[in-house]
Amino acid sequence: MTDHSTRLTRRKFTAGLISSSLLISSGLAGREPEQKGSFDLMKEVLRFKKVDAYTTSVFTKESIAQHLDYADRYGISRMFAANPMTQIELTPAEFRELNNKVIAAVRQHPDRFTGQFTLNPRFRKESLDEIDRCLDAGMTGTRLYQQVKINDPLYEPVIEKLASRNILIFMHGECQMGVGGYKMKYDAGKVKTISTPDDFADAARKYPEAMFQFAHLGGGSDWECMCKTFEPYPNIYVDTGGSNNEEYMVDFALKHLGEDRLFFGSDNSFYQSIGKIFASELTDGQKEKLFFKNYQRVLKKGGFHVD
Amino acid sequence: MWIDINAYTGSWPYKQLRNSTLSGLAGRMDRFGIDKAVVAGLSGIHYKNTQPANEELYQELKSQSGYQERFIPFAVINPAYPGWKQDLKKCIANGFRGVRIYPQYHDYLPDDPACIELARICREEGLITALTIRMVDSRQRSWLDIPHVAGTAVGEWTLRNFMPLIRAVPDAPYFILNIANGLAVDQADLPLLKKANVLFDTSGRSLGFMPDLLKQYPAEKFAFGSHSPILDYVTGMLRIASLRPDEAGERDKELMRSGNALRFLKQRG
Repeated sequence: MTDHSTRLTRRKFTAGLISSSLLISSGLAGREPEQKGSFDLMKEVLRFKKVDAYTTSVFTKESIAQHLDYADRYGISRMFAANPMTQIELTPAEFRELNNKVIAAVRQHPDRFTGQFTLNPRFRKESLDEIDRCLDAGMTGTRLYQQVKINDPLYEPVIEKLASRNILIFMHGECQMGVGGYKMKYDAGKVKTISTPDDFADAARKYPEAMFQFAHLGGGSDWECMCKTFEPYPNIYVDTGGSNNEEYMVDFALKHLGEDRLFFGSDNSFYQSIGKIFASELTDGQKEKLFFKNYQRVLKKGGFHVD
Repeated sequence: MWIDINAYTGSWPYKQLRNSTLSGLAGRMDRFGIDKAVVAGLSGIHYKNTQPANEELYQELKSQSGYQERFIPFAVINPAYPGWKQDLKKCIANGFRGVRIYPQYHDYLPDDPACIELARICREEGLITALTIRMVDSRQRSWLDIPHVAGTAVGEWTLRNFMPLIRAVPDAPYFILNIANGLAVDQADLPLLKKANVLFDTSGRSLGFMPDLLKQYPAEKFAFGSHSPILDYVTGMLRIASLRPDEAGERDKELMRSGNALRFLKQRG
């Protein structure tokens, strides 16, 4: 079997856990409030080992440098990354080229980046072949966009193949009025094939054995709507990425989805993605799950050994 | 010392907010080590006559000892509604230190003569005029909210929308809050913006990478703001706290944590 090792190191992970046990928590509900001026935000942020389940990069030298800068700044040991793939026409030649770019970039920084691949299910055979090629190249999951909705029958062979190998199916989704069929009288002028939470729920019902990642809780969409839609579907995970950092977003997700279905993701909005977690009422244990353990557990199902 | 220049008490009609009272805000400040906060009455944004929100805030400020030392009240004023000058006088008498305006919600433009007059009065009185680029991300707005939606013909406002006011009253002190949709202004306005007495808070999405922004604008232009209770309480702090020493020295960090806010707030004496 292909070695899909992502080379996450036990040493760094363990160091994070040890340090977290030595420091006191910061004024969670029911605890004594911190004294003014005594809170050290960066010390708190760096207590937790993190992997970013949603990094997007164009993989230029400059963009890679900035990602590494943010990652070092906030203690993110590994970024699961792919190109932004928003073109509605994504021919096999185009998606192979994009994936090749990711593979090449990851080879330059194998200790920091793991690649994710894109495809276009309108090209059935080529997409199924690309799954094999990319997994063989060390990629760990998909980065799907809006070429086709996730519950479109065109996706069925792709989902079936990914589910059979326990590969996490990451796909862009939105929950905005006027997008993807939701309250279209407020038409926001986007492509019609953007997947909504209802589309994800439809796919999750049809393929309970598949694992889906809805990107992204902070993507600007209605996160209450997302969480309430996903609550009955244990095979839908969400990442907390995106530029929207409304108060209580993460707590609401915890309340409706539980502590095992949340991943940390940035979608390159590093301030907001870190800030919203540390503003939440999550316990240390829940933060450890969100920042690392949940994603680790899901990847292990696909044979990706993070030790 | 940390001062939050962008916080609210009160309700938002489309979503339940947590920590939306002064007590709740004080709890957030305690948890994250924030000393003082500039606060306004959130409910006033949806009132036509905003003065009851200012009165509610004033009563809340008096409800507990220590609040008047910890919270710095700003009035929500609608200059397109009768009686705003009397309202402003009452607020000044009650110790309010600035004014927040919401042209998007109160249905006027920043170059409306009444709005310009308001900024001039604020300047004369030593009050700060606070401009909020957006309240919520329009992509998750309620169907009852204003129709300014990103990506559509009626887009969200940007800093450009407020430049006519700054152009009209360039020597007034301004807070520019929750900056979304970019920091860009027309080329002709850039020297004015750089020279103007403006303070950008750190809550907004457009403050993408602070080390780069600090190459465009000096540290004297930034101050911690949370946009609480709508946005999370930490992100605005993180933009300052995570700067490395070679990106912002201790002096600059202190300016952004509280020094700039104090400089603006002391203008009234």
